[in-house]
Amino acid sequence: MVVKENHLSRRKFLKYTGGAGICLWLGLSSEGLLAKTKDIGTAKNFSPFILVESNGSITIFNSKPEMGQGTFQAIPAIMAEEFEVSLDKVNIKLTDGESKFGRQSAGGSSSIRSNYDSFRKVGAAAKAVFITAAANKWRVDESTCYAENAKVFHKPTNKSFTYGELVEDASKLEMPKEPKLKDPKDFKILGKMAKRPDVPLKTNGKAQFGIDITVPGMRYSTVERCPVIGGTLKSFDATEALKVPGVEKVMEVEKIMGKYHSTGVAVIAQTYWAAMQGRKKLKIEWDNKGFETFNSADYENHLRELAKEEGIIDKNIGSVDTLTIAPENSIEAFYETPMVAHSPLEVMNCIAQVQGDKLEIWTSTQVPSSITSGGATFGFANENITLHTTFVGGGFGRRLYIDYIIEAVNIAKQFDKPVKLIWTREDTTDCGPYRPMTFSQLKGGFSDDGKLIALQHKVIAPSLRQSGSDKYDAAKVDGSMVEGIGEQAYEIPNIKTSYVRADFHVPLAAWRSVTSSTLSFAHECFIDELAYKAKKDPMEFRLSMLTKDSDLKRVLLKLKEFSNWDKALLNGKGRGVAQWEFFAGLGAHVVEVTYNKDKSIRVDKVYAVIDLGKVVNPDNVKNQVEGAIVMALGAATKPGITLENGKVMQHNFYDNTMVRINEMPEIEVLVLTDGGKMKGVGEPGLPPFAPALANAIFAATGKRIRKMPFDISNV
Amino acid sequence: MTKHSERRFQIFPLKTIGTVAVFLLAIALMTSGFKEEKKVNVTPAAGFDAAKDSTASVDAFMQVYKVLMSPRCMNCHPSGDRPLQGNDSHIHTMNVQRGKEGKGLYALKCTNCHQPENAETNHAPPGNPKWQLPPANMKMVFQGRSAHDLALQIMDYNRNGHKNKAMLLEHARDTIVKAGWHMGEGRPAPPLAYNEFVKVWDTWINNGGYAPEK
Amino acid sequence: MVTLNINQKNYQVDADPDMPLLWAIRDLVGLTGTKYGCGVAQCGACVVHLNGEAVRSCVTKVKRAVGQKVVTIEGLSKNNDHPLQLAWQQIDVPQCGYCHSGQLMSAAELLREKPDPTDQDIDDAMAGNICRCGTYLRIRKAIHLAADMQRNGVKKA
Repeated sequence: MVVKENHLSRRKFLKYTGGAGICLWLGLSSEGLLAKTKDIGTAKNFSPFILVESNGSITIFNSKPEMGQGTFQAIPAIMAEEFEVSLDKVNIKLTDGESKFGRQSAGGSSSIRSNYDSFRKVGAAAKAVFITAAANKWRVDESTCYAENAKVFHKPTNKSFTYGELVEDASKLEMPKEPKLKDPKDFKILGKMAKRPDVPLKTNGKAQFGIDITVPGMRYSTVERCPVIGGTLKSFDATEALKVPGVEKVMEVEKIMGKYHSTGVAVIAQTYWAAMQGRKKLKIEWDNKGFETFNSADYENHLRELAKEEGIIDKNIGSVDTLTIAPENSIEAFYETPMVAHSPLEVMNCIAQVQGDKLEIWTSTQVPSSITSGGATFGFANENITLHTTFVGGGFGRRLYIDYIIEAVNIAKQFDKPVKLIWTREDTTDCGPYRPMTFSQLKGGFSDDGKLIALQHKVIAPSLRQSGSDKYDAAKVDGSMVEGIGEQAYEIPNIKTSYVRADFHVPLAAWRSVTSSTLSFAHECFIDELAYKAKKDPMEFRLSMLTKDSDLKRVLLKLKEFSNWDKALLNGKGRGVAQWEFFAGLGAHVVEVTYNKDKSIRVDKVYAVIDLGKVVNPDNVKNQVEGAIVMALGAATKPGITLENGKVMQHNFYDNTMVRINEMPEIEVLVLTDGGKMKGVGEPGLPPFAPALANAIFAATGKRIRKMPFDISNV
Repeated sequence: MTKHSERRFQIFPLKTIGTVAVFLLAIALMTSGFKEEKKVNVTPAAGFDAAKDSTASVDAFMQVYKVLMSPRCMNCHPSGDRPLQGNDSHIHTMNVQRGKEGKGLYALKCTNCHQPENAETNHAPPGNPKWQLPPANMKMVFQGRSAHDLALQIMDYNRNGHKNKAMLLEHARDTIVKAGWHMGEGRPAPPLAYNEFVKVWDTWINNGGYAPEK
Repeated sequence: MVTLNINQKNYQVDADPDMPLLWAIRDLVGLTGTKYGCGVAQCGACVVHLNGEAVRSCVTKVKRAVGQKVVTIEGLSKNNDHPLQLAWQQIDVPQCGYCHSGQLMSAAELLREKPDPTDQDIDDAMAGNICRCGTYLRIRKAIHLAADMQRNGVKKA
């Protein structure tokens, strides 16, 4: 690896650190902040990710957007561990989609599990050249030197150089490609509970999200879009809107979400408030394209009808179709789930500025790389796109999509100043994209001794991939719509999974844990149904299908112990178990509930186990699992997204309701780091919750829930 | 046969507020024909003179009752300690509590969201300078009350917020009562026009404040 | 032009008296710690103190705040060291962090009135603040810790 000169000129560096509105150089420790005001001298990059200056200041670049999942600590921690620097003494900077940092995106719970080894190597390789540089200066053998706390020490003499003192020499050395990594038992940061450096910025309002950025000369914009999904603009009259003081321009603007194009009307004004007032005065005629008769209730009936179709086979192992199972040993069930919105608390927003053939963007996004490599989408050369990222006020999959960025760019193309587009909460709720609903038809049968021998799972649903692209091949199974259903660790000799695709016109999106968040509900509730039908304890029934060693077997055995599964509960209480393993990782929960006299259910406690292989920050993992459970509780028990007459019927938090603090169960999280494959953190806590809850409700009430959302105030 | 009890709501000519409470027995609590007799303590609101027209009074109250039981009035006169919300009078979201003074608690006080005036924005909280629930020591519950019980309650000085006749008449003209007819889009007014309401309210009270039969 | 007193400083702003205080604070004064989340008093991300009360600035018009004392998250303490801020930091409460300005301002009002809140008091004060990341259990824990810090002085972690 060749050491490159730092690209930041001194001048630019100061501009970034000067605290101006656009600055995103997040100096964190007081020491770090201080360092930036000193004379900088030489600054060198050791790989693009580590910047060391001769004054001792160290910056680590985090290329995985921070949306609450903790990458702002976790990614630098991996490098800092090997580089032998303390995290509270480095500056951490979010990257802006520059290609030198590789793929910059946060999704699929992949930030740590996919980059753990490579970021360790980055830190270790940088450390190696500093040790070599020091050894060369002292003319001693490298093996007598070691690095600690941003210094290199000569063991026999206890002499030391700071990294700052070595930066010039070290920068001339080639970084090793396969540096020696630390023995994990010597870790000082990884695997230990650590405070996240972004937290203090989030307790005094200093953390900047996309919506907080101000660019000189900036104007504000809001867009009125066709209330009927699938519709678009026919004509508009801006006369009254333009009379609102502060309103400067009204224009057509196109939004592209996946394969869907639609045109709305943008109002640009000197303040956001004025833009909103102007928007209210617009007179618009929409072309509903025939979608004004669409009702999601009808569509659900359509999905139920489609269940009769064979669909496309996903997996067919053994001989499900020819197997004969006694009727008393088999059951069938149909499960239904709703669309839901992501509803991050930071609404969609983006600032864009177009100057000639140059495009500059400031935004909260999960996918910086998609923006800086998205020139074809925006109509600019990639090298002419400059992005400034910020903290992300909630992603959950919503900010994997760049529809709102495309819209902002299309406004900026028609205006000579930077424009900040802010979607209202209603905009953010009303026009999608949404998690797709999945309906599931299940059949299962067990042997006379109560072992599951056959399982059939047919998914009837619209297609995520088809929503994303016109080029979708409808003859193939959309793998994202049968996610995990044929791949659980249960040893089931005969298993068949299939997919019946339904046409749809509502934009769809990955939502935290994607379709695992709905398919786990069908699958794991059905396993529970089979257990009861076979007169087996639901935990034992699952374990009986896990004779071989597997991560799941290990997890369930731990969960059984952790949740006191064998301890009897009081009357009126019930507990349920569910697990889910999918691309992001593996989690399993036990939920305990009380059935109250007024027929309401109180969710008492959740025992959650997440299996990681290795962990960076255990406390952050717990925070993520707690959050995933809250999100799953909301998606299971609060109204989803429905459409009537083509329009989405939920608009804001009064009808798209969220879990609040007074509804919280107790949650205990066990983080397993027993080795094995590294798994993700952000999503795996979510899929097991809804089925574990429904299973617990069955245990407490004898009522089997097969449809989400369900009302726990009246069961 | 009149729609009200044969034994009318007795009114004592108490001229001043704060007169020693008088306990009345069996007032207006009997079904027609005196089939049963219940004892209830009622301290009538002061300011009522001799009886007037019981039929007209009760007829008027039945109109008043429709208004009081509409979401616009009842939502802030809940039977529990949490306000109601919406046209279906569900329990107010956000776990909002009455609080001792009826003004909510801590960060969830009524006026933290409910402004002195309505917002232009749809679905924003309706506003009024006096927005609150009755206080904890004088709950003035409407929710679940029969017409009979509610009439008695309103006429009971000890349960109506210590209002005498003049104050009761005045109450219909209060800004917070008027607000029920102007709560913004999506919040239908009570089933009687405001002026009509004031008329029947006055008629009810001026004719003796009779309670309908049970 | 109206004068707004925010965090003990006067700001002259050219705001329509009917403009929500939120947008005046964010866009005209430039204090962006106070967040927009819903615009209809549902989520609590915009909570500021108006004469000590935890009002929702998204539905509070500028004219209600003129001549009054407004405190935003930036003014909750000088050095990010209000007991609640310290407790939030000690427990690593936030995830994305977007709602926490509002959470802290609501919690500060709770502690002002009830220095030793029970879980029920916390529910009664905080159920108006939505956290989509679901950090509620940590919020509860941190409020208890902050109450303890207020009573017994700050203990360093």
